Amino acid sequence: MTTEPVSAIHVSVAGVIAALLVGASVCSVLYWMLHPPASFVQKIAKDAQSTLGKLVDKIMVVFSQEIDSAHMMALAAKLARGERSELLAIYVIEVPYSLPPDADMEIEQRAALDALGAAETLANNTNVTIRTETVKARSTTAAVLEIAKREQVHLMILGSFREGKYTGAPLGHTIEEIAADAKCDVLIGVEGKHGTTLGEEPPGSLSGGA
Amino acid sequence: MTSTTVVASKAPELRRSVTPWGSFSWGYSDVGADIFVGLGLVLAAAAGASNVAFLFAGLVYVCIGLAYTELAATYPVAGGGQYFVMRGLGDFFGFVAGWAVLLDFTIDVTLFAWTCVDYLSQLIPVFVGSTHPWTHFTVVLLLIVGLAVLNIIGVRESTNFNGFVSGLDVVSELSILMLGFLFAFSPHILVSNMTHHWPTTYQLMLGISYAIISFVGLESISQAAEETQRPASIIPRTSIALILTILIFALAYSHLALGMRPWHPIFDDHGHPMQFWQIFPNNGDNQGKAVALLAAQIPYFGAIAALYVPILGAVLLLISSNSGVFGSSRIAYAMSSNDLLPSIFKRVHPKFRTPVISIVTFCSIAVLELVFAALPSLFPGARQTYAWLFRGESGLDFLADLYAFGAATSYSFVFLALIALRMKDPFSPRKFKIPLNVPMTYRDEKIEFPIVGVVGFIGIFAILIFTLLTHPIGRVAGPLWVVTGIVLYFFYRRHRGLPVFKSQTHDWRTAQVQILKHAGELELMDECIANNKAADERRAAREAVTK
Repeated sequence: MTTEPVSAIHVSVAGVIAALLVGASVCSVLYWMLHPPASFVQKIAKDAQSTLGKLVDKIMVVFSQEIDSAHMMALAAKLARGERSELLAIYVIEVPYSLPPDADMEIEQRAALDALGAAETLANNTNVTIRTETVKARSTTAAVLEIAKREQVHLMILGSFREGKYTGAPLGHTIEEIAADAKCDVLIGVEGKHGTTLGEEPPGSLSGGA
Repeated sequence: MTSTTVVASKAPELRRSVTPWGSFSWGYSDVGADIFVGLGLVLAAAAGASNVAFLFAGLVYVCIGLAYTELAATYPVAGGGQYFVMRGLGDFFGFVAGWAVLLDFTIDVTLFAWTCVDYLSQLIPVFVGSTHPWTHFTVVLLLIVGLAVLNIIGVRESTNFNGFVSGLDVVSELSILMLGFLFAFSPHILVSNMTHHWPTTYQLMLGISYAIISFVGLESISQAAEETQRPASIIPRTSIALILTILIFALAYSHLALGMRPWHPIFDDHGHPMQFWQIFPNNGDNQGKAVALLAAQIPYFGAIAALYVPILGAVLLLISSNSGVFGSSRIAYAMSSNDLLPSIFKRVHPKFRTPVISIVTFCSIAVLELVFAALPSLFPGARQTYAWLFRGESGLDFLADLYAFGAATSYSFVFLALIALRMKDPFSPRKFKIPLNVPMTYRDEKIEFPIVGVVGFIGIFAILIFTLLTHPIGRVAGPLWVVTGIVLYFFYRRHRGLPVFKSQTHDWRTAQVQILKHAGELELMDECIANNKAADERRAAREAVTK
């Protein structure tokens, strides 16, 4: 068998039709294959994902004497970065009625500077823009709810250290009041023993132990 | 005092990580490679009726594909055809079908490693089988041994790599076909070839029996059913897409090859002009690399295609060869789990965590097949013996003979299993059901009898007959393989005190609920439980009336 090089393009109507048919049919078959209808659980997951964007569009982390959200700040920053949310951290100083509204409260103000400074550092390390605000108010609950309304917050993050364990309000009265009255979603982080699994707990600490 | 509830730890399960494209590429890396082997063989055998041979085999393949789709979506477990046959026809026929699939997988290893080297020979002339038989043989042998070692030490190509190569190949084949039809196709040449080079009936039967090997490997999608996300929903889509894609490619290639106006006019040794397809008869070297030769004949694009198509084809063929290695060990594992093969095939190496015995056994069989296929080219004395015994079939023919035999046998059983399962198990929900069914009553239950199953069985059985009639080696070695397997099965089952021709007791109802639960098809699981309950109530009512 011998060959000699001759370049000749031969275009025919049948060839063009066949080429288009082959291309269109394979592409449409593959497109159909790659777009199967979603199952019931996939629809639930998709709905949850689409609401997540709305849920975390603006996040507010709350600090006060009763609300310790330091351990939730890292989570809030990561969430804000992942969802490109606006992040706001507030510290509410509750001024007792025995003092004038603009009373100078050095210890509380110092605690606010520490908490919000730590929040800013964490946000900077996570490459998230954060706004911080210190507020003086007669009632922490009312102040938090008012700011949430003013800022049109979608998600409020509160940290509890279970101070109210024996008071009938396990998460703390303020936190429970805010959660009950808030018009937005509220995420309450209760600090546990990080990194401890149930298997490592001493036997007596398991609920239901003898 | 309250008691503490301790929940038993759950055995780790295979993660379902295979996506729709992953599932498609599992099948494509196996079936997609077949056209690289089959095209040249069919053009050599069926000449001007090659497209008709592909059409006949393609229609049978559509029926096979639909049957596999229904069964894999209904019973999404590893084991594929062997499992369906065991469930529908019992342990003995399940073994025979599985044994035939094992033959196909071992042939798959050798045949695709062989053609991988043939494709590389387009770029590396020292790999050409006819002129350098020992080099060709050694490279194929090294590839098989290499794949065996890689599978033993547990190195696997990832689903992502499979997906990437499959995607690249789909784009490449589309380019070849579209540019080929656009710039090198003449309907007059097609008509002329079909008119003046129509084969004899014998040649046409031979061509059809070779054409079926272009469609073997749909099994791979069923094999991966246990790892596929939402298998009952995804597998029907990927299977149908694979069936249609491969069918379109096969029909398009055969029409293009017959109607092609080559970029470089081809002349025979006497200086007479030849049609493109005429370079394949009596030329094993060309038959083994048909797609690369065709791509090289497309004006201008052929210059690039001549460089990359052999490499892409070789990679795809090597992946397909590898799928034979792990496919055979998977089937052997599934058969061993069902007491159809000794438990030694289930044993996993303590260090590598792979079924070493299975891999070594079936790769050794693949090497034996390679030796048998390569003998005529290696030793002139053997060539004479082959010419006398087997009409001088070449090595590639021998491998293709057995491949066609194994496929036709296992597919025949799958059709019978489909029909049997429609009758025996109408309660398992079928997310995909083959169209064209006849409603009827069987054992007081309403069933739908699949017409396509009967048509497909007739078609594949005809191909099995064609294979036995036209393949001198296939008609001896194929049945010999089956008989050897039955003898081994007989002794094994007797040794274990298990029935040989009857089946063990299986609780298929409970098994089916567990299968659907494991597959995450919870709605189908609920439907299955409800169907079973309704069937029990109907049976109880009938018995009450009888009493």
